Amino acid sequence: MLKIDQYAYINRLSQVHPAEKILLALATMIVCLAFTSPVLYLAVILLMTAVTVVMARIPGRFFLKLMLAPMAFLALSVLTVVFVVAASGYPVLWGVQIGGHVIGVTAAGLIQAGTLFLRAMGAVSCLYFLSLTTPMVELFSTLRALRLPPLFVELMSLIYRYIFVLLETTDRIYTAQATRFGYANLRTSYASLGQLLSSLFVRSYYNAQMLFTALTSRGYTGNLNVLENTYALSRRNLTVIGVVEAALVVIGLWSTGVLHGILHSTMGGAGF
Amino acid sequence: MSNRCQLYKKFLLIGVLLGYFMLNPLAPAYAMHIMEGFLPLRWCLFWAVLTLPFLVLGMRSIGRTVREHPEMKMLLGLAGAFTFVLSALKMPSVTGSSSHPTGVGLGTVLFGPTAMTVLGFIVLIFQALLLAHGGITTLGANTFSMAVVGPLVAWGLYRVCVRLKTPLWAGVFLGALFGDLCTYVTTATQLALAFPSPVGGFTASLVKFMAIYAVTQVPLAVSEGLLTVVIFNLLTVHNRRELEELAVLARPEKPAGEGRS
Repeated sequence: MLKIDQYAYINRLSQVHPAEKILLALATMIVCLAFTSPVLYLAVILLMTAVTVVMARIPGRFFLKLMLAPMAFLALSVLTVVFVVAASGYPVLWGVQIGGHVIGVTAAGLIQAGTLFLRAMGAVSCLYFLSLTTPMVELFSTLRALRLPPLFVELMSLIYRYIFVLLETTDRIYTAQATRFGYANLRTSYASLGQLLSSLFVRSYYNAQMLFTALTSRGYTGNLNVLENTYALSRRNLTVIGVVEAALVVIGLWSTGVLHGILHSTMGGAGF
Repeated sequence: MSNRCQLYKKFLLIGVLLGYFMLNPLAPAYAMHIMEGFLPLRWCLFWAVLTLPFLVLGMRSIGRTVREHPEMKMLLGLAGAFTFVLSALKMPSVTGSSSHPTGVGLGTVLFGPTAMTVLGFIVLIFQALLLAHGGITTLGANTFSMAVVGPLVAWGLYRVCVRLKTPLWAGVFLGALFGDLCTYVTTATQLALAFPSPVGGFTASLVKFMAIYAVTQVPLAVSEGLLTVVIFNLLTVHNRRELEELAVLARPEKPAGEGRS
């Protein structure tokens, strides 16, 4: 039902140590946010697309569809940043005069919007790499290893498990209602959706009680213990991740001109 | 000159309307979460740090509840899954397009605001990872708006209405409506703080963001208010006993019964 979740279990990288994938995704994301450099963002998008589509064998079309998913938010927000409302006479590239005000776009605004767009896409590609290659169960064991409160991780895994149970129930109730014209117009839609959710709520409630009864009868004492898969950390992968991140940082420094400045000053200092 | 000005106004109005009808079917697809990578690093950290104490308080409160009533852990798990599924459902909107409810109002009234903070946080993680909606770096900001501000406002209004002895539906409707609206105002504030306008700074930027998102978020809030009332009415008619048992969750300090009100 949730395609991303299915791919997380069947992709070519699903057997790689989850910590390596989390490290790659998060480190790249942070590098992406730390620099203001469109070149770096493009590099990140390319890298993550390559890793996800070529190495993990996620269908390119699906990845593209995901990349287009946040477009509505992005378009609205970027447009909001681009447009400036100012007193008339404010220098704009293009604008509409209304009363004593001008609504328009400036060069600086356009550059900021473009940068923002690419940076968000870069970070999003990291997120998709993580969610398409790492099974949720492995994420939980990593969180457990990171010493997050056990209750929190347990809640997460319970919620994850029951999302699918409830989605299936919802699907069945919805189909039953829809075949009986439950969603024919706005009025019936509200009534049907209300009934669906209230019965879903009651079912959740009894599911929880049944789960507790079942666990208690099996000797539940307050902790859900699960067997975890064991993975070996690969030194090679870690090195590659390190090199890639270093390369990204160099791209970031170089494109923002910092590297240039450092090189110049050290060379000047050394008396070249 | 004034003629031309009028013409421009007309064009702008048409443009705004066109934009509205073009974006409306797309934009309200989900309640507004700030997408991955949209906030600068320092604002990500700022909101994460601000959200942390609420999460710790929420976890403590849940921990206490679970120690006294072990079965509550399962119920909280199901409550979280319920909130996730609720937020993944399409809701017919009053403007004709469809959108997704946030579940903040319903969840808060059923499970209480402290539990909702933790559940909302987990739901946001799953929305980012399973639905590609929201993000990891913006998790702090989104949790603050949807799982801290929203539930607190919804809960406050609901309690006030209960105390004023208004009909139950009024409290539920106002709680869900303003829980949503305040979530959206908070998100707009977060965006405006991160991207102040070159002219007029934060205030001008806030007005811009609020104006643009009001188009999609106000109908969504009204729809969710209505839907929450429909659900709650059904629950009070058919499932009074379960609701009474749930009062344990909503008020962890006094599990015995006689509430604070």
